Amino acid sequence: MSSGYTLVICEKPDAARRVSDALSEGESRSERVEGTTVFRFNRKGEEFVVCAAQGHLYEVSDPARERTVYPVFDVEWYSSDLVDEDSASAARRILAIRKLASGASKFVNACDFDVEGETIGYNLLRYACGEKEKSAFRATFSALTEEDLVKAFDDLKPQEELGLARAGRARHAIDFVWGVNLSRALSQSALGSGHRYRTVSVGRVQGPTLGFLVEREREIRTFVPVPYWKASGAFERDGMKLTAGYARDRIETKQTAEKIRGECVGREAVAAAVRRNTVQIGPPVPFNIGDLQKEAYRAFGYTPSRTLQIAEGLYLGAFISYPRTGSQRLPPSINYRSIIRGLGKVPEYSAHAAELLKGEPKPAQGAKSDAAHPAIHPTGEKPKHPLEVSELAVFDLVVRRFLAAFGPSARRELVEATIVVGEHQFRLAGGRTVFPGWMKYYGRYAGYRDVEVPLVSEGERFKVIGVALEEKFEQRSPRYNPSSLLEKMEKEGIGTKATRADIIATLVGRGYVSGENMEVTDLGLSVVETMAEYVPSIISTELTREMERKLEAVEGRSGSEAELLRETVRSIVRQLAELSANEEAVGREIDSAQTASVAKSFVLGKCPVCKTGDLRIIRSKATKKRFVGCFNYSNGCRASAPLPQKGALRTASKPCERCSWPVVYVAGRHPWRLCVNPNCPGRRKP
Amino acid sequence: MKCPICGREAAPELCRYHAEAKEKIQAAYSLWMKAYGNIEWKDFLDNVKRNPQTGQWVKEIAELLRG
Repeated sequence: MSSGYTLVICEKPDAARRVSDALSEGESRSERVEGTTVFRFNRKGEEFVVCAAQGHLYEVSDPARERTVYPVFDVEWYSSDLVDEDSASAARRILAIRKLASGASKFVNACDFDVEGETIGYNLLRYACGEKEKSAFRATFSALTEEDLVKAFDDLKPQEELGLARAGRARHAIDFVWGVNLSRALSQSALGSGHRYRTVSVGRVQGPTLGFLVEREREIRTFVPVPYWKASGAFERDGMKLTAGYARDRIETKQTAEKIRGECVGREAVAAAVRRNTVQIGPPVPFNIGDLQKEAYRAFGYTPSRTLQIAEGLYLGAFISYPRTGSQRLPPSINYRSIIRGLGKVPEYSAHAAELLKGEPKPAQGAKSDAAHPAIHPTGEKPKHPLEVSELAVFDLVVRRFLAAFGPSARRELVEATIVVGEHQFRLAGGRTVFPGWMKYYGRYAGYRDVEVPLVSEGERFKVIGVALEEKFEQRSPRYNPSSLLEKMEKEGIGTKATRADIIATLVGRGYVSGENMEVTDLGLSVVETMAEYVPSIISTELTREMERKLEAVEGRSGSEAELLRETVRSIVRQLAELSANEEAVGREIDSAQTASVAKSFVLGKCPVCKTGDLRIIRSKATKKRFVGCFNYSNGCRASAPLPQKGALRTASKPCERCSWPVVYVAGRHPWRLCVNPNCPGRRKP
Repeated sequence: MKCPICGREAAPELCRYHAEAKEKIQAAYSLWMKAYGNIEWKDFLDNVKRNPQTGQWVKEIAELLRG
């Protein structure tokens, strides 16, 4: 081997800094190469240079990159700046890595150890370093702590042995040809219907995911609530009053409900059965990324993509382990005692840590595992600088979940009493925690509340002093939220732990779904319904799931990526043929939904002045500025108002509480809310 | 032929969404009749329209049927 340094490629600049700090024991020096920062140091007599990518620096694309051309099957990897003009920094980074590669004699891929990280590293080694992907070494670690990094670099593995890259590259290629061909075909169909070009996008996982939302949306919009009644009895004995619900949760008719009341009021009731039993509730299993995203949504309302972003920040700060993991298991090799001891230095956790260290810590383990990484866990490193509120929240959740996994089972006493009045039964139910066990460590996230039940003994007699009847209506199914949609995708086996959150965000970005309550727009409805009618395979969950299985087989080296790519091409050709046969009908339906959707986006709401026209966003022909005006102008309504000239506008679901004019959200670096009425009494005086 | 409520393609008189909503509202009437003992068709439609749980397309079809 010729003399030269070892070039280490990390996935992100923060990771590069941590790697160099850990390996150089703080003796590294930073320098600038082509405007990017790299680190240079010596370790055990060997010179190292550590550089970083910034996510994917190469992307799959077609040579023509012409949005009207399809089918496209001849795809290649290009540097990101050629695919996306906004990625100029990618070119600089590639140039820096290419320059550094010329002086290197050994290469180490130290990107995140998963499909995406492997693909990023592989592409840089192949294209920027000059086909070093096979001779390079791989550093694998699950946390950016000094201990983990030193261990990883002392135990470098040949790159080829650990190749997830083939699967990653195949996934990117499949997703590209799938998305680009069908999206271009759909957009062209809509264009053929006579309106201007607008992109209609569908993706391999996006289609079925939108399908779940549409199915639920139809259920909600065609829901007719049916009435029923609930009854609860009021009982009294020696001045003690208690209330118990009727044993049947749902009384179908008003007549039956009134009959129950008539047959109970004033009669004697007997406590017939009082059952108390204690149940054990085992500790929760450690977090994988899906569980963390769901729990963060439940606890803080964070969307899955936000949680992932925060967790990645905590990982880069070395506070938690690698978050994109499917594992719910913590192997002993992470050194439980050392992590718990580290957490003991943080005042909030010191008492819990001391308690757990008294025994031999052994965590609860979940069923899911991941060959690459353990479950998400704290590294035991104390944050050296104050964390942001959201970072602190997710960090606290991860720490408490980790500690809870080591806790003993909790015990809860459940009480159920039945009170009988003639033929009718009423029930009292409650429960309380008698031994908190792991709940003490999990704190407020444990989510069990005590509901005390009055002390009632079997055979005790009461007087029925009243029966309240309450008219209720069936509740419609709730819309999916980002967390429940993620759960549905997991359950259906579509997407990956790394991509699901982004797919959900894309559906919002494409205008198929609006807001956090995930209401499907007319455009989203139309895309799914049209596909269901003419090209059902585009939204087929089964087809997507099957593709995921085959991609996993490629990852596990039991499948061939070349065969999978051929199969994808055959499938797309079939779909394009189906689309082509129905091009006119598909185009007409999508174009009409697009037009309606664009028109609707300009309507802010009813005019509060004339009460009949719509207030719309209008662009002045003279000044080219946008403003709000009533469309009832020709009938004399002069309601109008200025609008901010920058930032996308989204109408709030409710008008202003003070003046009933529409409210808009103005997008930008600092999004803000605005009542469009310039004379709104709620506006602050200058 | 266009749906008189939303302007989508109708087959024959309503679009598929409002046709589905109409079927559901008609099926629900018998359940409401049973639940209350008796309820006039117009009162039923008014109640359905007012109920916050009612789906948007059902509300629109109730409005149309109420005339």
